[in-house]
Amino acid sequence: MATTMTRARPPLAGRSAAPAARRRPGDRRVSGYLFVLPALAVYAVFILYPLVQSVYLSLTDWDGARPHKRFIGLGNFDRLVHDSLFWRALGHNLIWVVLGTAAAMAVSLLLAMLVWSRPRGFTLFRTVYFMPQILPAIIVGIVWSWIYSPAFGILDRGLSAVGLGSWSHGWLGDPDFALYAVLVASVWATVGLAFVIFTAALHNVDQDLLDAARVDGAGAWQRFRHVVVPQLSSAVTLVTVLLLVHGFQAFDHVWIMTKGGPDNSTQLLATYTYQKAFMENEVGYGAAISLVLTVLSLVVSLAVVRLRERGER
Amino acid sequence: MITRTARYVILSMFLVLFLLPFVWIWSSALKSNSEINADPFGLPTSPQWGNLADAWTTGRFGKYLGNTVLYCAFVVPGVTVLSCLAGYALGTRRLPGEKYLLGVFLLGIMIPFQSIMVPQYYLVRDLNLLGSYWGVIVPSIALGLAFGTFLMRSFFRELPDEIGNAARLDGAGEWRVFSRIMLPLARPGLITMVVLQFMFTWNMFLIPLLYGQDENLRPVSTGIMFFIGEYSVDRSMIAAGVTLASVPIIVVYLVLQRHFIQGMTSGALK
Repeated sequence: MATTMTRARPPLAGRSAAPAARRRPGDRRVSGYLFVLPALAVYAVFILYPLVQSVYLSLTDWDGARPHKRFIGLGNFDRLVHDSLFWRALGHNLIWVVLGTAAAMAVSLLLAMLVWSRPRGFTLFRTVYFMPQILPAIIVGIVWSWIYSPAFGILDRGLSAVGLGSWSHGWLGDPDFALYAVLVASVWATVGLAFVIFTAALHNVDQDLLDAARVDGAGAWQRFRHVVVPQLSSAVTLVTVLLLVHGFQAFDHVWIMTKGGPDNSTQLLATYTYQKAFMENEVGYGAAISLVLTVLSLVVSLAVVRLRERGER
Repeated sequence: MITRTARYVILSMFLVLFLLPFVWIWSSALKSNSEINADPFGLPTSPQWGNLADAWTTGRFGKYLGNTVLYCAFVVPGVTVLSCLAGYALGTRRLPGEKYLLGVFLLGIMIPFQSIMVPQYYLVRDLNLLGSYWGVIVPSIALGLAFGTFLMRSFFRELPDEIGNAARLDGAGEWRVFSRIMLPLARPGLITMVVLQFMFTWNMFLIPLLYGQDENLRPVSTGIMFFIGEYSVDRSMIAAGVTLASVPIIVVYLVLQRHFIQGMTSGALK
């Protein structure tokens, strides 16, 4: 009813004279746009415009200083395909995303299961597990750099205390270990969020179904696999998306702990973009790398949204 | 299946895992450098409170903390106001073209900041914002809008239409309906929004790394980084810096933890 009236009336007409119910639609529509406008304007200038601009920049060899941006077509992408460092960074990103997601998922789910019955001390556990999540990445980075320090770190001292002194390492200085060492720190910092989401989801799991399964003789693992997991599916999807998207944009922890080194062993797409665009002044090439990041993030997000919609149907 | 004891053993192990690193750094903040090297894990024998004072003045942590607070004071209200307005309109009325508007904002949620940072940097530079507080504040506000709008939209959507309509029949204008009736009803959403945005802003790293390179513009997060560069051997100073930077946010967290946790879960679930 309201919509038909909208079309019939010019906006804002007879504002004071018409009864409230009749003047509503056109007026509301205009004010609706006015409400959106400030946010949209800021967003368009500082997010959308740069997004479009990044496509354009990726087609130039601009260095950030020259007044004129020279168009070189797909030159940057041709270079990208042959850039072994780019492929390494992409590979690191994949390791990061797959291992990081799996590890954070496993730990958080285990912890959430353990506090399912809200045992005594639940609030304490939850408060502490979630705490790294609220801290700046710089603090997580420093704390873990200390833990890994060969000179005075907890890890090496702990290893020698239990007789594994030969395993001691400069963890962050060793190209074979650095990526995993940083990843552990990053997982440590993100477990809390996944844990809290799982805890909330488990709270809604149907206890009757679980009891029924127990009566029917289902073992602990079977109950978990066939009763709990299906009911957690939307929480699992959600956590997966969050961790995947986080994984592709990983930057802070790596930049703070290793800056992509040693020997590029922790170089990720995001750090590589930063290095090219802002430290080596290859703005066009940096934009091209960031475009790969954009496409990957979009593909992953959209794929998961699709999956989720299909799952709900 | 799992005995009570085993459960508590595992839970407590993780408790230690999440807590110990902080306890270690905080206690190091009260030690001298020689004590850190000689006995890294013991509690400080004679607490060196002077370390904290040194970090505050010599390490310029007072300045850095002030900047962080300043950024929060502008960015949090900025994002909140703009997101509330947009989220309200998108959540309570069917605007023609709404689908496209939502799509456009959704794009901002899906792409990482790194996707736009390269052109955005030059935009900020060309607008002459580089080297001023606005250079950090404005991009931070823009970056929070996509998520904020969606979050507030989901809260406004749950409010029944009838309430606003009843007020309109009584002659209330659109602004009045929004500010006096709908906004107070969306208060839980508002709190979530403020808490989350506060946390994002306090913790932001890459934005000030890019736009706040000037010594006087650095917030705590990047400030510590340069601090480490300068004092890399002075561990007790670094530990003191980390302590100064982490204690305020942890105190806020402990006081408002229900909102943090609810905010993060609802923010994620919306």
